[in-house]
Order: sequence, then C-alpha cells, then structure tokens
Amino acid sequence: MSDHFSGPRALADPAADLVDLFAFPVPDNPQRLIVVMDVFGKAGPGAIFSDAVIYRFRFRRARIAATGPGAAFGVDPDEVGFDITFDVPSGDDTAFQRGHCRTPGGETVSFSSNDERGGTGWGVRVFAGQRSEPFFLDVHTILESAETRRLAFKKVGSDTLYGTNVLSIVLELEWAELLGSGPIFAIVCETLRTGPRPLRIERLGRPEIKNVSMSFKTFDQVNRDLEIRDLYNSEDAFALMPDYVGAYRARLNANLSFWDSLDGKTDWPLDEGGNHPLTRLLLADFLVIDTSKPFQETSYFEIERAMLAARPHFSPGGRWLNEDVMDSIFTLYINGGNGPRISDGIDAPIAWSSKVFPYLAPPNPPKVAAR
Amino acid sequence: MIEARITDGRIALRNLEAQIEGLGPEAARASACVDERVRLIDLFALRGSILGAIADYEHAQELADRLVGDANTTAAAFLARAQARELFHRFADALEDLEVAERLGAAADIVNHERAAVFQGLGRYEEALGIRQEAARRSPSFNSLGALAMLHAESGDAERALHLHAESVRRYGGVSPLPLAVLEFQLGVMCMRKGDLRRAQHHLTAAVRYVPSYAPAQGHLAEVEAELGHAETAVALLYPLATTSDDPDYAGQLARILRYAGRTEDSRRWRQHAAERYDELIARHPEAFADHAAEFWLGVGGDPDKALRLAKLNFEVRRTPRACELLHQASLATNSRERNFYQCPAAVPRSGAAR
Repeated sequence: MSDHFSGPRALADPAADLVDLFAFPVPDNPQRLIVVMDVFGKAGPGAIFSDAVIYRFRFRRARIAATGPGAAFGVDPDEVGFDITFDVPSGDDTAFQRGHCRTPGGETVSFSSNDERGGTGWGVRVFAGQRSEPFFLDVHTILESAETRRLAFKKVGSDTLYGTNVLSIVLELEWAELLGSGPIFAIVCETLRTGPRPLRIERLGRPEIKNVSMSFKTFDQVNRDLEIRDLYNSEDAFALMPDYVGAYRARLNANLSFWDSLDGKTDWPLDEGGNHPLTRLLLADFLVIDTSKPFQETSYFEIERAMLAARPHFSPGGRWLNEDVMDSIFTLYINGGNGPRISDGIDAPIAWSSKVFPYLAPPNPPKVAAR
Repeated sequence: MIEARITDGRIALRNLEAQIEGLGPEAARASACVDERVRLIDLFALRGSILGAIADYEHAQELADRLVGDANTTAAAFLARAQARELFHRFADALEDLEVAERLGAAADIVNHERAAVFQGLGRYEEALGIRQEAARRSPSFNSLGALAMLHAESGDAERALHLHAESVRRYGGVSPLPLAVLEFQLGVMCMRKGDLRRAQHHLTAAVRYVPSYAPAQGHLAEVEAELGHAETAVALLYPLATTSDDPDYAGQLARILRYAGRTEDSRRWRQHAAERYDELIARHPEAFADHAAEFWLGVGGDPDKALRLAKLNFEVRRTPRACELLHQASLATNSRERNFYQCPAAVPRSGAAR
C-alpha cells in the first residue's frame, strides 16, 4: 500500500486508488514475467473493481543510458499496454465480477474475479480479486520522524496494514512474445476513467514516491504549501511536462535531504545545482526489470544502485511481493547503503505471498465492522 | 447527466460500505492516527447522507467528539467535529470549532470552505457567497463551482445554480457518482421549492439514476410524483424508505400521501410511527430536526401548537427564508398574534410540494 491515499483526488473513489505495483520474473520460469497492480487499500470484504475504470499496465523497452552520478535510463517511445476492465456484477452472486484483459494485439481474455485459476489465453494469465495486503510498514513512526526530524523507528514497530486486504490484479505474460526483445523494461500501472478520451486518475511506478518521498511539504523551500501529488499523478510517467518538473525536483531534493540528515551524516551530497543524487532516477518513476536475470527475493533499486556505482547489476530489479521494501528505501535514503540496514521495526506482512499463481495470499477474514 | 462513464451507483455504495468495513474498529480507537479517524468520520457522514441514516450521523458525531477529546491540539480533529456538528445544525458550535482549528494552524482555505457551509446553513448567504466566489475564482474546479451552485440553489437563484452546475459537471474528472448525485439532488430540491415540478423530477431522477439507493433523492422524488398526481408511484418510492430508514421524514410523507389518497388507516399507522420518532429525535437533536418536525406537526401530524414551538426554535437556529416561511405558516395555523411579525417578504415561494 505504498501509494495509498496518494493525493486528495485518489480518496474520492477507492477502486481507482492505486496502492502498489510489483514486477518480477516467474521464480521457476524466467521466460514469464509477473506484474501486480493493487488498488483499494484497506478494502472491506464487499469491495469490488469499478466498471468505469481502465486498469492499465504499460511497458516500454529501456536501457541504461548513463552510469555514475548522472545515472539515467533511456526509454523507447513505443510501448505495449494491457487494459483490464470489469463489468457490473449481475444476478444474486455479487462476489464474482466478470473481468476482461485486452492484450496489445487486441485479443480479450475474460475471467471471473476471485477465481484463483485466473483467465488464460494469448500468452497471458490474469487474476483479479481480493487478497491479503502484501505491503507492511509503520506509518506512525514515519510521520513522527518527519515531525520530530529524528528517526523514530522502534525495534518492534506496529504494522499499520496488519490483517488488511487489497484488490489485486495479477498479470503473468510471456514477455518475449508480447513485449518484444528486452531484456530491460520500464513498467508503470495506471487507473483511467473509461470514455472516448480516457482520463488518467492515478499512475504508479516506484513505491513510496508520492507519500514518503513527496508528501511532506515542510522541507520544501520552493512550494511549501503545494499539495503536489494530484498534479504528479496526472502526468504521463514517461513524459513529464517540463513546466512542472522543477516543482517535483524541488520537492524530492528537499525531502530526500531530510531523510539523509536523520543519521547525522550526509551520504548524498547535493550537486552544484542543489540536486540530490537520487532525484533524477526517482523521477524516472517506473519499475525497471531486467528479464535476463533470474528471480531474486530482494531486488528493488538494485539496478539503479549499480548504475550509480558504475558497476554491472546482478538482479532483475523490479519488485518482489515479499521484499521489505520500506527497509530497502529507508536504508537507501538515510545512509545510502553505507551503514547497517535500517529497519522500521516491521519485517513481515500478516501472510507471505507464495511463488505460485496468483502469488498473493488469500484475503484475511473480515474484521468486526467499525460499528 | 455527465457524458463520461462513471462507476455504477451500486458498486459505489458497496465500495463505500467496504471502506467503512475495511478501516475496521481500529480506526475508531484513540491509538489510530488522526487522518484515519477523520476519514472514518467522513465516511459515516457520507453514508448517512446517501442512505438518509441518522444513526450514521450520530456515529460520526460521537467519533468526532472522541477525536477532539483525544487530540485536542490537532486542527484536523476540530475540523472534523465542526463538520459533524453542522450535520445536526449546531452551527454556533461548529463555528467555534472552526475558530479553534484555525488557531491550531488549519489552512485558511479549508477553514473558510467549512465556514461557508455553516453560513449557508444559517442563511447568511452573503457571507457564504463571498467565500464561495473567491474559492471558485482562485480555482474553478468541480468542487468549488459545485459548492457555489449548491449555495445559489439553496438561496433560490435557479438560473445561476443551473449554469454553475453545468460548469461544475463539465470539469468533473472523477469516476465516483456520489458527488454528481448530490449536486443533482440539491438542484432537484431547489426546483421543488420553486414549484417547478417537472424540472425537479428531472434532477431528482438523475440523482437516483446515479445512485439508486440515494434515500433523500428518492424521498423528494416521491413528493414531486405525488404533487404531479402520481400517488401510487410516490407510495411505491416511500414505502421501502419508511420501512427501513431511521429518518421519520419518509414515514411522515407516506402518511401525508396516503391520507390524500384516502387510505386513512394506513396513513394513521405511518403518522404514529413518524410522530414517535420525531419526538425521540427532537429530544436528542432539537436544532437538527426542528424544521422537518414542525412541518410534520403542521401537516399530517395535526398539532399546530407543537409545530409553532418547533418552527420558532428552527428560526432561532437559522434565519433562512424557508425557516421564516415555516414559522409564518405555523403562526397562521395557530392564529398566533405574532403572525404578522413573521411575514417573510423575502422568503422563497412555497409550493404545495415543498417542505
């Protein structure tokens, strides 16, 4: 749920509120790639997908364009997309919702929600339905850290998402057949309002860009009172509007410097233009996966770290469901990997994801209602 | 109606319930973060407004009171309580909370947005208009223009309200039908009060099309249908509401329409049901239910003296044209010596359908 409530607009319709994106090779079959889009954080048992939203995965071929301090990706202009849509449930059995995945070739694979076998055809397998929240973090101590400007993580934290569920869309695909030659791809997911001219509601690539990295306003000396996230959400991840890039950069520079300051030393000195070394890579806000590398449990941002260090990467990058990505992010932001791994005190979700389709654990039992 | 596709109203309501269930009991506890507790209060208030569920409003208020108790240095807590108090027409208390929120650092535009809503409730339309116009000028969005449209609708400026409504809908970028349904509902009520029954029927039908279980829209549509001579349609709309809702308004309307349809026994039963419930609610939330209860006792309730007492209370709480008109009607019905005092030249014309 790294992107949950990522701006005022996202709050209006929870079924369009993106909460996480994952991408990883199938553990025992690197010819197949998995992407997972989660929406509707803290979904109650009755939650279902909107019939007015396109849930979209976008893939572009990427390459390492520069390494060292100016590390950057090059991304092809052409792309491949998969659109998933849902019907209004009909009849008495409203637990099942009919879904449809449109492939880049225009074929449609239909399926029933919550059917763990998923729908299969045209090189894809697709599942959609309610699952256990795979993400875990302690929101209280993150907010406290920002407020007190000192690291507030406890040895044993409190998982804000413990026992909660999300709506997940899991897409497994034969990447060589459907995406073309790789091996590196840039991936984002989006929610769009259906219509003749679909309107982007949210987009998501890397975890915790809009919340942990962008939401705090107090450190930003340029736009101290600007809620920047709706604007950021509305942008094309592969083509940010030049007019607003300065505002995003200023916010990231300020907030990343704040995180870097928390251990009392500077691991990420700013360049002569005041830019944080991670800002450029993070503004390339897509997951990057190298399909030539086999599955690894911990791989988020490994390609990017290798690029910054001007060394070859060894993992597929992307993001696996069970990775403790908050610890990875805090370690990256706070000590740049130049010190011990930083833990927020939460090391596991309520249920681990499996290495078998549809990967995410079944939903947790309903809680006693709020009243 | 909007041309773009929006979420089916049944899915939207189901997902609203799922949001409340998903937040779970933790969000109501003192250990939950303030944002989450505020979110839960908002969701109960929203569900209450769509389903016409007074229990949801009461729960929102209870949660807001507890939140202020636990977080009395947090602006968001006072903002949430101001909104909850507004639901029950506790306008003076809401304004006090907004002042505290402002002192605690709440953003001026957020406080002013809420202040405008309170001013609107109080009938202080000029003050509300100043704030709403400024917000729409600075950021002409669905929300700011919609709020301005609703203000004009309530103050009776139909032409302006309809124009702003169209402008607002044109800028809608979301997929939830709930805000669109609320706008249509407000316009429907405005048209009903102006006696433009066909246009009221159009907007209220649109609201119900957006969200089929939108109880207040169904209830008002039933009143319009009755005024248009479609008593059976009205009864069919009101019966399920009167049976399931904890708001006596539906039972009261049903009693009124059944009486006019000559179904005296049924009418008496629903009148009794509404009367008991109004008495309960007046004991708990006098400011919030004084106007509807006064109307009930003035009409099918058959107790003009009680109606006058409540209409006076309502007029003390908010000096809207509607409150003034209600007081005038009540004073006429009781042949009160004060009836001339309560003449309301500026009042919104009262149609037979309007309540």
